[in-house]
Amino acid sequence: MTRLLAAAAAGALVLLLAPTTSASPVLAVGGLALALCALAIATGWRWAATAAAVLFLIAYAAALSIESRPLEVARPLGVGLALLLLLGAVDLADRARGASRHGRVVAAALGRFVLLGAGVAAAAMLALALATALASALTAPAAPLLAAAGALAAVWALAALVRRGARPG
Amino acid sequence: MTARVTPLALSILAVAGWAVSLAVLLARPELLLVALPGVLALATLGRRGPLPRYTITHRLSADRLFEGETLTVTVTVEAASPIALLELRGPLPAGAVLRAGRPRAIMVLRAGEAAEWSYDVRFPRRGVHDLGAVAVRIRDRLGLRTWERRHVAPLAARVFPRIVPLRSVPRPARTQPSVGDYVSSALGEGIEPGDVRQFAPGDRIKQVNWRASLRLGQLYVTERHRERNADVVLMLDTLAEVGAPPETTLDLGVRAAVSLAAAYLARKDRVGLLSYGGVISWVRPASGLVQYERVADGLLRADVVFTYVAKDLLRVPTRVLSPQALVLAITPLLDRRFSRAALDLAARGFDVVVLVVSPVAVTRAAIRPSPADDLAGRLWDLERRGDLAELRRHGLPVLEWRPPEPLEAALVDLPRRRVRLPSAG
Repeated sequence: MTRLLAAAAAGALVLLLAPTTSASPVLAVGGLALALCALAIATGWRWAATAAAVLFLIAYAAALSIESRPLEVARPLGVGLALLLLLGAVDLADRARGASRHGRVVAAALGRFVLLGAGVAAAAMLALALATALASALTAPAAPLLAAAGALAAVWALAALVRRGARPG
Repeated sequence: MTARVTPLALSILAVAGWAVSLAVLLARPELLLVALPGVLALATLGRRGPLPRYTITHRLSADRLFEGETLTVTVTVEAASPIALLELRGPLPAGAVLRAGRPRAIMVLRAGEAAEWSYDVRFPRRGVHDLGAVAVRIRDRLGLRTWERRHVAPLAARVFPRIVPLRSVPRPARTQPSVGDYVSSALGEGIEPGDVRQFAPGDRIKQVNWRASLRLGQLYVTERHRERNADVVLMLDTLAEVGAPPETTLDLGVRAAVSLAAAYLARKDRVGLLSYGGVISWVRPASGLVQYERVADGLLRADVVFTYVAKDLLRVPTRVLSPQALVLAITPLLDRRFSRAALDLAARGFDVVVLVVSPVAVTRAAIRPSPADDLAGRLWDLERRGDLAELRRHGLPVLEWRPPEPLEAALVDLPRRRVRLPSAG
């Protein structure tokens, strides 16, 4: 059941990426990502799932860059959630391998994921509203610098959170 | 309790980092939205919730069993607070075989909920197996952080070697003062008729031999041989072993020793144990059911401890290795130090019988047959026959047991040595 969940996440990613572009190099990267997904689902190797997620992300970024479409909200959020579901499901499948299960393990994981999805949607709406307000206040030459600094700060903050999470308590 | 960040959190961090970096490099805000679910999930690591509360108990269906038997390990978990995902790894000692169920479990528990999980373990080999540790790992809601702990309870399974019933065992050459099953050369109370002599004051009427008295015209009495027990010391070679567990020469030797101990104790003999190897250990000779437990317990722990040192049997106390005792040396004869020790005992006047567990048969059973191995086995067998003949030349009775033939078949090879035995009392 956990493997089915991971396969569903991989399928969702393919369905979300395929209509974005028809460029064959991008589709090839997507295909490679799908193959890595299959490997991760079959073996439970987390590195394969992470590599597949990064490849899907690169394919999506390349597709966005090539096609120069107008800003979408639902599809990127869907891609982000599907990537998270893929990583979580492969991890859960690895935990459940060779173990006897008690209680609704998959249903509980899925329930938590749906809750997270709702939270993500709400947060996205809030972030878009803030970004729209902020965009009018920013000057064009300062924007790339601010974006780079913001990205650096965001990644650093996430790394600090992960580091802090390892402390006992 | 040890807290850790899971590899899943690191994977999400990697993907979110890629998404944010690509968003800046390609100037595509959609990629920030792709990163958003991961960022929100990682943000939950900043929240410090209370530690999950639970109690774990585990029990065994039996703590004493014989080789090849199965026991059930049951683990019960009671959650005092909700647990998003609980991973448990139950004890599965090395050498044990999982018979049914799984030694790992994952469960989701609500507050106040309890869950029970069990699995069956078979123990093909003797020993004291620790089954006291259950490893617990609790994950938070999104699986990004874990708390790990080991629950340890003093639970162990004592797996005793299997006993083979033996009808005939080597007879001891000397007896002890206590009552037993052997006909002693000393005269006194007993069943076996001995000498006939003239009546003397103090003799009882029931001892009178009326046929001899009528024929000779005087009162004659029949004397009888006393029935006495004997001291038997099982000397086990723990210097070396060959074969694959649970059928190594030592395992087979231990099974032979415990079967012999049970057979001699049933004959009211006093049985002791001497493990001769890298470490010398012993059990003083005694009789009764409790002694069987002591000997079996000593055999549970018998293992090969490598050493270059040849241990001197003079260090073994006389009350353990009494000169009156029958010493049954059980050995694969892989190490010459053991045969030297047996010869030394025989030279000092001990009644020694050597039971050789054939390592050739055991090794052949452990490897895939091939013409080269067959030839090597035959050469080894020839070489060993020379060793056994050497021991026999020194006057030692040698019995060779070639598993899988029954032990009884090897024991009957020993000729009946003496019917009436010299007595210590």
